[in-house]
Amino acid sequence: MSEIIKTNEVYYEYRSHEEDAQPVQAVNGVSLAINQGEFVVILGRNGSGKSTLARLFNALLLPKEGTVYICGMVTHNEEHLWEIRKDLGLVLQNPDNQIVATTVEEDVAFGPENLGVPPQEIRQRVDSVLKLVGMESYAGHSPHMLSGGQKQRIAIAGILAMQPKCIVLDESTSMLDPSGRKEVMEVLHKLNRNNHITIVLITHHMDEAVEADRVMVMSHGKIVLKGRPREIFGNIEAVRMAGLDVPQVTALAHQMIKRGVPLKTLPIDQSEMIQTLKEVLANRSSRVPDIAPSYFEEQSSSEKAEAIITLKDVEHIYMPGTPYEQKALNKVSMTVYKGEILGVIGHTGSGKSTLVQHFNGLLKPSSGTILVDGQEASGKALKELRSKVGLIFQYPEHQLFEETVYKDITFGLNKLKLDQEEIKRRVFHVIDLLGISPDLLNKSPFELSGGQKRRVAIAGVLVMEPKVLVLDEPTAGLDPKGSRELFQVLSRLNRENGTTIVIISHNMEEIASLCHRVAVMRKGELVLCDTTRKVFSRSQELKSYSLDVPRVTALFEALSQEGIRLPAPVLTVREGAEILSKLIQGNTGGEGV
Amino acid sequence: MIQNITLGQYIPGTSPIHRLDPRTKIIWTMILMVAVFLIQSLPEYIMMGCFTLVLLLVSSVPIKYALKGLKPLVFILFITALLNIFFVGGRTLVSLGPVTITYEGLIAAVKLFFRLVMLVLTASLMTLTTTPMAMTDGIERLMKPLEKIGVPAHEIAMMMSIALRFIPTLMEETERIMKAQASRGADFDTGSIFSRVKSFIPVLVPLFVSAFKRADELAEAMESRCYRGGKGRTRLKSIAFTSLDLTTTLLGLLFLLLLFGFRLL
Repeated sequence: MSEIIKTNEVYYEYRSHEEDAQPVQAVNGVSLAINQGEFVVILGRNGSGKSTLARLFNALLLPKEGTVYICGMVTHNEEHLWEIRKDLGLVLQNPDNQIVATTVEEDVAFGPENLGVPPQEIRQRVDSVLKLVGMESYAGHSPHMLSGGQKQRIAIAGILAMQPKCIVLDESTSMLDPSGRKEVMEVLHKLNRNNHITIVLITHHMDEAVEADRVMVMSHGKIVLKGRPREIFGNIEAVRMAGLDVPQVTALAHQMIKRGVPLKTLPIDQSEMIQTLKEVLANRSSRVPDIAPSYFEEQSSSEKAEAIITLKDVEHIYMPGTPYEQKALNKVSMTVYKGEILGVIGHTGSGKSTLVQHFNGLLKPSSGTILVDGQEASGKALKELRSKVGLIFQYPEHQLFEETVYKDITFGLNKLKLDQEEIKRRVFHVIDLLGISPDLLNKSPFELSGGQKRRVAIAGVLVMEPKVLVLDEPTAGLDPKGSRELFQVLSRLNRENGTTIVIISHNMEEIASLCHRVAVMRKGELVLCDTTRKVFSRSQELKSYSLDVPRVTALFEALSQEGIRLPAPVLTVREGAEILSKLIQGNTGGEGV
Repeated sequence: MIQNITLGQYIPGTSPIHRLDPRTKIIWTMILMVAVFLIQSLPEYIMMGCFTLVLLLVSSVPIKYALKGLKPLVFILFITALLNIFFVGGRTLVSLGPVTITYEGLIAAVKLFFRLVMLVLTASLMTLTTTPMAMTDGIERLMKPLEKIGVPAHEIAMMMSIALRFIPTLMEETERIMKAQASRGADFDTGSIFSRVKSFIPVLVPLFVSAFKRADELAEAMESRCYRGGKGRTRLKSIAFTSLDLTTTLLGLLFLLLLFGFRLL
């Protein structure tokens, strides 16, 4: 097999703007080889150097030391520059920032146009690659009307039109919703299988790594683990050391082993897990032991709880009276209770964001009423409302603007006419809660890392001490460790300060582990609103709204269908491990301990 | 707010006007715009008006879209018409105290009104039937001769098309940032003019930061797709004069002859 990518002890460093600062070693001695036709996933936390590595492959950056060979050509030889970029295409993270042209087909044609391909041939290539990514019916469309997943498929088509041998995707799925991610992953596997295009996918979604031929884990500029997905995920400690996580099924098996269940192999997907469990349970009585754990008695105390936000028949129509008129909310009535964590889920475009923007009066209902903390949300009350209900948008770090972190955090507070002592008290309270180091307060927010920026942006809302905190996809783009830390902060905030939290997320595992109740939106309507356990017990219904359930929940359902009777639904890995361990150990008479 | 901008909003179609070479469209749009300012007599106005209407019909662009381009101009139309009515001297038509409306003033106002309407319609007809890409391509080709005297024709065209591509993206972004700052207590619509202008700093700074970031990433994306300036570049839709352009040009000349020919007699 021929090597598409080969690097030899490659180093790259970024120089900081400040003169006395140490340069940052982004890539710190990487040697690797990727063969023709492979599907390789590179995993790593934000800032682990994986994006720099992608740019070294494409000769957008040249190594400070060491050599990168692409199809046998050395990247720092300028003669080969265009050939290297033709053979190895790069798809970037943000779908919006890599589309050049104003129609889909003209954008796909951009690469071949630059290569000087004759017009008739460009036409043929454009038509055939659009078919490959399943976007042929959008040829004449304007790209900004497409969904994120569609935009990324266009970007892939644009690379394919240059007839590359290899495509490198730098976190290209991280800004997509689950269905968009699925679309892109299907296209990539198809291209790898049928067209023998080498794929190098950089990501921090573990599930995308399961189906790869090989996985490499990067940490601090180095490749710390290399191997088949099974080998990598079998080494849970090392994966977690790198700030990453393993698929839920693997984590479940790992916890079971810790509880003393003898599993011979670590399964990495659902069918393997079922197989493993069947073997363990084989030839044993299918008697379900008494395994109702404590949390099944948990009941929503919401009936007694006090309402903090009440919506009655709320409708919202965008651009009424124009051809673009669109009913974004249709007769939504719901209640958010004081002190709860409410999850809001729904397919992209189902009206989730529109809904929560009504909570703090950013949007006014076309009809219907909204009561917040006993006050009707209208007219003069709106301003007061915004300090009661804090709303954190997607990618909140994009709203930072002040010279220093301190000034940015206090931006909203200054309008409340508080004395400086009180302001200071609040700032220090919030940064302690969010784990922002006080040293950062006098730095420019633009110097911080992505994760730090997000915390600062969240701090700017938290200092207003809102009674309700609304977050629109707070973990989008964060790596597993960053997400976990943020979720810890949120549950602490809920527990200690009693802050009511409303959270929009596409990540069902996050919702299941954090939320007390879940509201499900579909095409502007609230179709379901109940305790998390009840909502996720209706997986068929959720599926019809193009929504998933957490992987553990799905596994337990599949197990029931296999005839293994279990008290479904299970929401978290911990619950699942407890139940399965009891089941197996109960059946084996405790011999496994 | 975003949707009200007709300029640069291409409406897909296959009409003869859609299929014309963008150069033909650009040149004829310019000629027609000049013609609109040369017409004087009522028959000339009628002919010009009919011609514009015929073009619209042939283009199969919904009239509603074409008229939408007029919306932002309503105010200007109204003011200029008013100024003409009141301040053009001549025979008195109506006299209300100090205000006199003259016959000439009224005529001038009506003429100006129709001129501006025709002007806008012709211009939006071009943008509605030409993709921004084709348009910039046309401009680039028309400016090609200027490259000899150092005008960077390709770069200008590329910048124009990228600007057009990113208008909707940046509009959305502005709206998003405004909402985010409003939730942090920013106030955009009360206070003195000075404080209102100041209140836009929290919007402008993030917008610029993001625009630079986008520009950076776009440059990377373009470079990694082998972009290296206009040299050696081919086009998916290479523009070329066809018999359609010839026919159109002949028809256009015929129309101009009809329109202004009588003056020569």
